[in-house]
Amino acid sequence: MSATSISAPEKLSPRKPRKPFYFNTSEHLLRIGRQKASTFAELLEALQTCPDDSIFQHTFRTLQEHHFIRQGFSNDFAHWSLFACHEPVLAEQLASVDVREFTSISGLRARMVEIVDGFLKQHPRLGSQPALEPFYFCASDLLILPTSCVADSLPGFVESLRAVSLHSIHHHFIEARLRLHLMSNDFSQWLEEEAGLPEVADSIERIDIYTNTLDGVRQQIARLVEQVPG
Amino acid sequence: MNSKDQTVTVATSPGPQNGSEPRVEKIATPERRRAPRTLPASVLTPPAPPPPPHLDDYKKIIGEGPVDALHFLARELKGKSIKMVNSTAVGGGVAEMLNRLVPLLSELEVPTHWDVITGGNDFFEVTKAFHNALHGSLYELTKAAQEIFLMYNEQNRERMRFDEELVVIHDPQPAALIRSRDKAKSDWVWRCHIDLSNPDARVWEFLRPFIEQYDAAIFSSQSFARQLPIPQYLFYPCIDPLSEKNKDLSDEQVQRICDEFGIDRSRPIVTQVSRFDRLKDPLGVVHAYKLAKKYVDCQLVLAGGGASDDPEGAVVLQEVKEAAGDDPDIIILDLPPWCALEINAIQRASTLVVQKSLREGFGLTVTEALWKGKPTIAGAVGGIPNQIIHKLTGVLVHTVEGCAFQIRYLLTHPEFARQIGINGREHVKENFLMTTNVKRWLLLYRILQRARSQKAA
Repeated sequence: MSATSISAPEKLSPRKPRKPFYFNTSEHLLRIGRQKASTFAELLEALQTCPDDSIFQHTFRTLQEHHFIRQGFSNDFAHWSLFACHEPVLAEQLASVDVREFTSISGLRARMVEIVDGFLKQHPRLGSQPALEPFYFCASDLLILPTSCVADSLPGFVESLRAVSLHSIHHHFIEARLRLHLMSNDFSQWLEEEAGLPEVADSIERIDIYTNTLDGVRQQIARLVEQVPG
Repeated sequence: MNSKDQTVTVATSPGPQNGSEPRVEKIATPERRRAPRTLPASVLTPPAPPPPPHLDDYKKIIGEGPVDALHFLARELKGKSIKMVNSTAVGGGVAEMLNRLVPLLSELEVPTHWDVITGGNDFFEVTKAFHNALHGSLYELTKAAQEIFLMYNEQNRERMRFDEELVVIHDPQPAALIRSRDKAKSDWVWRCHIDLSNPDARVWEFLRPFIEQYDAAIFSSQSFARQLPIPQYLFYPCIDPLSEKNKDLSDEQVQRICDEFGIDRSRPIVTQVSRFDRLKDPLGVVHAYKLAKKYVDCQLVLAGGGASDDPEGAVVLQEVKEAAGDDPDIIILDLPPWCALEINAIQRASTLVVQKSLREGFGLTVTEALWKGKPTIAGAVGGIPNQIIHKLTGVLVHTVEGCAFQIRYLLTHPEFARQIGINGREHVKENFLMTTNVKRWLLLYRILQRARSQKAA
């Protein structure tokens, strides 16, 4: 009987990841929807019936549009509740919804509906109170594009990370969970699976996107990867 | 005059507390110069236009990544072409935008042709009336007006060729050219630059059957759109960061222009740049300045135009001068339309910018101020709330008193003012620059192409 050779699990080298990281980017075109809400009751109804890409637009995508703000911009529903309806309690509850806790739009929609519904059950008279201005439901038409940046090493990864647009960072770091259906992001996935760096991957996943600008997130990711011993 | 002779009172606390009087202190101010009432010779003739910029010139502003994204987007459109059609080659925001957009799209190897419709005075009288009616003015739509509109559209349709794969018709004047559309060959898009939120019903119902034949419509704000059976997209108007009005200036350039106009840069400057038009509420701005001036030292610059070729503008200008009285700190500048560089310098010299409009399209003067990192106070009307996220990228106001309070607040809280200025500039960089506009056109073209392929399959 010939000896069967069992190959040892391949040891990953952080210096030379197994596969390169291809930086892509997503670009969005804003489409004006058919629904609008002038009261909380109308908001609740529209939240339940609007297309998935409207929920995406007013949560994930608006975060990208306002990536430079770190003083409390979370999503359009929260912003409207505060500035058009002067309801800070509901605004705070909606703003506390972290898009990164969701791997599907249906889960995110259900959470928003639950918050507004709960608020209106507590304050039924506020349901018909007119807002200062309506909430216009929009949606995103999306195109995913390649970039010229491909990284096959950690220094190359950091260099590309610093060169790509913030839309690319948003695509890989924030939108990725809708694609992966995992509580993770493309950078962490690659660093863990291709470069054998689960701790770095975990640290990156824990970066707070709501108290940082997207450029700040980029810098933090770069620093974490640069700290990996060569 | 000895500068020590003059004093103003400045509140050093937000206001009376527990019935106490506000604490005030006397401060010395430099000598105030009376503003010149005639324009310097340098602005009396239009300068030669500078050559249009190239895509690479924008890299230093938005970075390489976003410019690369434009090239990637355009790659699949190579060889396909676009036609833009509007009603004027010079003057007005649409022509200004097309002047920059068309060469940039062509540089991306998406050949873009710009055609202008022609018509007699009777046509442009009708379309001007349509324009006002679509903005909500009262108008009696007659059969004769409809016939004039259709006749000139028909004449232009016979004269023009539409061989491009994407045809973009700007505004209502050429809307009936849609009759030339060959569905099998091209996509047609209607780009509406005006506010249709409250149109005259008869004019809109006359135009609607044409609009519904397009493949898509584009509006400048969600609130401007109508219920239509075609997809509607949101394209914000934009500014060109390399234009004379928005390019970076050296401090020496800013100082020279301020000196020419008698603006004292050693003291706070509050500026509104706008035509002398009641809808821009210049009288409200003077009133707000006077209310604020009780507590904070500042100058008010009202820089605009329109008074020389618009009788109504001349009346408003006169009223503004009367309201200003003999206050040497109110500087009123009625500038000719080619003074983009001067406007740029005045905006850059300003401590705060105000745009207290009562009604507004998109409000590109707000975009210009935000781009220059200026803390901006603006009326919550038209497209302004798309640009000013209250207390994050600027402040929104609804009244003269609110405007006065925000002038006081921002002049006495410079760190907050600085932060909203920084955010405002980033907001423009992300959403309201010419390069973003180029990207939107490429995206739209790709999305229409994708829909066409899906339909064919």
